[in-house]
Amino acid sequence: MSDHHPQPLYQQVVDFLMYEAALLDDGRFQEWFDLLTEDVVYQIPVRTTRDREAGRGFSQQAWHMNETWGTLKTRVARLATSYAWAEDPPTRTRHFITNIRIRPGDAEDEVRVTSNVLLLRHQGDVPSAQFLSGERHDVLRRENGRWRLARRLVLLDQTTLGTHNLAIFI
Amino acid sequence: MPEVNGQSEIERLLEEMDRSLKRGLIPARIFNDPEIHRLELERLFARAWVFVGHETEIPRPGDYCLRYIGQDPFIFVRDEAGGVRVLFNACRHRGVQVCRAERGNASHFRCVYHGWTYKNTGELVGIPAAEEAYKGFDKSAWGLLPAPHVASIHGLVFASLDPQAPPLETYLGGMKWYLDLLFGLTEEGMEVIGEPHRWILEANWKIAADNFAGDDYHTLYLHKSMWDVNVFQVPPRANMMGYHVQAGNGHTISFSIAPDPNEPGPTFWGYPQEIVARFRPDRVSREQFELARRSRVSVGTIFPNLSFLTVPLTADPDRIPPTTFMTVRQWQPKGPDRMEIWSWALTWKEASPEFRERSYQACMASFSPSGIFEQDDTVPWPLMTKTAGTVFFGRRNEMLNYQMGLDGIGAARPVTDWPGPGVVYSPRYEEGVQRHFYRRWLEYMRAG
Ligand code: FES
Ligand SMILES: [Fe+2]
Repeated sequence: MSDHHPQPLYQQVVDFLMYEAALLDDGRFQEWFDLLTEDVVYQIPVRTTRDREAGRGFSQQAWHMNETWGTLKTRVARLATSYAWAEDPPTRTRHFITNIRIRPGDAEDEVRVTSNVLLLRHQGDVPSAQFLSGERHDVLRRENGRWRLARRLVLLDQTTLGTHNLAIFI
Repeated sequence: MPEVNGQSEIERLLEEMDRSLKRGLIPARIFNDPEIHRLELERLFARAWVFVGHETEIPRPGDYCLRYIGQDPFIFVRDEAGGVRVLFNACRHRGVQVCRAERGNASHFRCVYHGWTYKNTGELVGIPAAEEAYKGFDKSAWGLLPAPHVASIHGLVFASLDPQAPPLETYLGGMKWYLDLLFGLTEEGMEVIGEPHRWILEANWKIAADNFAGDDYHTLYLHKSMWDVNVFQVPPRANMMGYHVQAGNGHTISFSIAPDPNEPGPTFWGYPQEIVARFRPDRVSREQFELARRSRVSVGTIFPNLSFLTVPLTADPDRIPPTTFMTVRQWQPKGPDRMEIWSWALTWKEASPEFRERSYQACMASFSPSGIFEQDDTVPWPLMTKTAGTVFFGRRNEMLNYQMGLDGIGAARPVTDWPGPGVVYSPRYEEGVQRHFYRRWLEYMRAG
């Protein structure tokens, strides 16, 4: 992502998403947190099964996560304590990010990114995975020559979550 | 099922538990056994009063949500006349679910199989090709089956599938006094914010009901990280001060209350002045109002599987003040070793939009699938379930320890000048509340 050898925008976005996913899967949450803008909005709405005519069933009021920089900071800080049992021993996550599409953002230094996410999660000695899948609608913003995540809306396919908690980031 | 002298292994286990419970011992097996699970569905969930939803989830005529009593599906619906109905979600023709969306608004439910159509009162009103197919048929006898009893308190709607069930108020016993001071302090009362969280946990439902019944002890260790990141103001040991109430009929409530009535710290669960100004002393007794005033945290379980918690927490200690929320959560049995957690956030109808939003945020950040408090509970509960299912421990009827506070074990002592109903102990190092829960459980399970 060096300014001296600028890559095509699409490739820069892919690089960012792959790097971000690697940080999450490696449990490097503080470094992940450093990729966020200070006005970041990170949301996962609750979903319900609705009749076709009633739309896709994403809540306007209920969220699995509806985060700011400060609330994400609390979550990351808590994961770093010695008593965050939900992730100690850590579950093993694998983010698969595909179907990446980009569009111009609202501002000149922003790009809108839509992707699919498949998240596998393994816990303990259970060989089968818990999984989450969905769409991510992101806004990336270029700040001081680096891409950062300014907005993420995760639209999950599950109504009842098939994972024991969301002590992880999608 | 192996039988000895005509008594099944499980009946013997329950009989043994009837004795061991007096000594604070509970056989681990009850937390993971297929036969226990089956009997719970028949003897407990089909007979107790079970939570269905809150009236504010279906404010307008035709609004409905799908709900479960035990594992049986029901439609929780407001009919055109404004009445709340709880209808079994199965067509009377062949039993196909007539409602397949989780929520919505409908004047009628139409079965997809042959098209029988029911009004949202449950009445069967339409049959395709009725002339040819059902001439002379008495439609009025073939409506959707209603739950035999439906009743509500402070908007919380319960249903019982037992035609012989006592009235809800009798069932709640002393708990009503506490629900009045928790949910009834303002003119308009509480409402649900948005749709409930739902998620699956590989743990027996009773473990969660028991935890909320008054296992405050676990906060000291399991939830230690909450104090490390400053999301809760009252220090862990100080927070153990307060009272455990066995409210009768298996219902329990635990109050975090400072020993000194004028000690600084959260009062009215930490609600801000804008809310406290709406609390009306005339809606409850002086004693109830004073108990509400002194409460820092209230947590409890309405037998069998509805729990509640109200507490001031913050999602961001550097920027957001501790904010009080009320969550009610239902531990739905999905098998001997599996539950589905349903969790609702509630706030006062009088709350400002800003407070409402902040309260939801505090709840979601601490008690929800992503909640940093609740995340940690999802670790021990499945492990306890696993142990209960083992041969060496579970099948040999090894006992779990519920002796804290029993016969003077520990510092908790009976409170003799308590102003409300129930048997009360203080401080909260005490498991009488859980024993009270299991005593009631046994009564249902043994009354075959
Ligand atoms: S099963 Fe419903 S109409 Fe036949
Ligand atoms: Fe807990």
